[in-house]
Amino acid sequence: MLDEVKQVGNMVQAAARSAQPYRRHILGLPLQRSLFGQAARAATTIGLPGLASELDFPARLDENGDLFLDRSQVAALTKALPSWFTPETLELMHTTHVAACDALVDASENAARVAASLSSAARKLSEDLANRMALVLAYGILSKFVPDVLLRALADAGDVEPPPFPEKSAGAELMQNTFALYQACCALNYTPQRLQREWPRVAPEVFHLVREFCNRQTGFGPLAWDAPGYEDPNYVVGLLHSAFTEVDAEQVRRRLSFAKRPAVTPSPAGVRTKIAALRRVLGFWLDFLERETWYVRRAFYVGMIPLLQQLAAGYRQKIPPFQLADLLFLDIRELAAGFADPAVIHARRQRYMENTEYLSLRGVDPGRLATMLGSP
Amino acid sequence: MTVYAGLAAAPGRASGKAYVIRNAEDIMTVPAGAILVLRILHPHLAPLLPRVAGLVVEEGAILQHATTLARECGIPAAVGIRDARSLFRDGELLEVDGYTGKVSRGTSIDP
Repeated sequence: MLDEVKQVGNMVQAAARSAQPYRRHILGLPLQRSLFGQAARAATTIGLPGLASELDFPARLDENGDLFLDRSQVAALTKALPSWFTPETLELMHTTHVAACDALVDASENAARVAASLSSAARKLSEDLANRMALVLAYGILSKFVPDVLLRALADAGDVEPPPFPEKSAGAELMQNTFALYQACCALNYTPQRLQREWPRVAPEVFHLVREFCNRQTGFGPLAWDAPGYEDPNYVVGLLHSAFTEVDAEQVRRRLSFAKRPAVTPSPAGVRTKIAALRRVLGFWLDFLERETWYVRRAFYVGMIPLLQQLAAGYRQKIPPFQLADLLFLDIRELAAGFADPAVIHARRQRYMENTEYLSLRGVDPGRLATMLGSP
Repeated sequence: MTVYAGLAAAPGRASGKAYVIRNAEDIMTVPAGAILVLRILHPHLAPLLPRVAGLVVEEGAILQHATTLARECGIPAAVGIRDARSLFRDGELLEVDGYTGKVSRGTSIDP
């Protein structure tokens, strides 16, 4: 296992071609791109205070939404991390990581609850939510190499157990829930083909089933907010069609029963060994890997959109033709400051709409921004 | 015979026709029994897994998305096959060895 991990280095090798982006077109909307701009600052609060003072955050996004990694910074961070691992610092790392994720979920739900009754506080709340998203995004970048560092540290410490994979991953849960939706629709005589053919003019109970599913699974989807995901019934109906047309239901059930993984010996409760601490930290990272996009995407759809709707009302009074989607073309500092220059917004929106490679890659059609914001 | 070496992400062997995910819309037409070729396997694609025979992933490491999901579903997977989406075409026969991380075209992988 260790040799395999040593071979990996996908990220480092890719970053070696420093003039080339590590990933192209990952984010297109200026508002979401600007959260990455907060990543360097966020690095100081991810539970690695001793390192953050020496090392810059190794990732940046350019104006095209291309992600660049600094190979030297990735290598330096990868090299420096293990010497920092003690039971105490690992505990700090773990609690900080868990707190960042929990705080984002709480902030999202809170924004959803109070947005409609806010006026001036909407701006502050949106900034706060954005900062929490930026922090989790930073963890998303670190997740490309920190888990491997932790696994190596475990091997070096003499651990011989399999990696502490989650009992049931977020993807596995999603798979089961999607299959349950498929079965429920079939029970109401809506095969995936019929559902796709007739949506949205379907029986009310089927319509309700799909909408409820979308509400519960909002957050699953691509990292880019503007790319359709599970919040969109059309996406879900299409996915049901793709996933369950011409499949053997028994085969699906077998696969949903999930392969047995080797038993993992739990660390003795309360024993503060380095191995136990490493396994605990790594276990949360492995769970986080399956949810990192969910956290940020759900925060946008559940929390940020209601706040943007509140903010847009104020902008419309100042700039009569202002559209809700225009807010997506501000960066977070501009949003927090109440900035709105129609010419700047127009130019950014035009550039976005002309980036056909990005739009095609992410499945963004011309009406997508209005649809995703719930504004006609 | 050309064999591409990656990392073994989920055990088992599978063969089938390649289906390459290049754009968002490609996920809406995944053929049953396909060997899915993609850049990275995100959790939101999990519902497609029960219909595919195997996975070939460009990015990935032992501890990345594809590993967890493929192992849970018992789908043979090779990760870290760089430029897989350029190397393979829709419809060509691929074999995935999830024990070794090797992917081959058309013919059997040597044991």
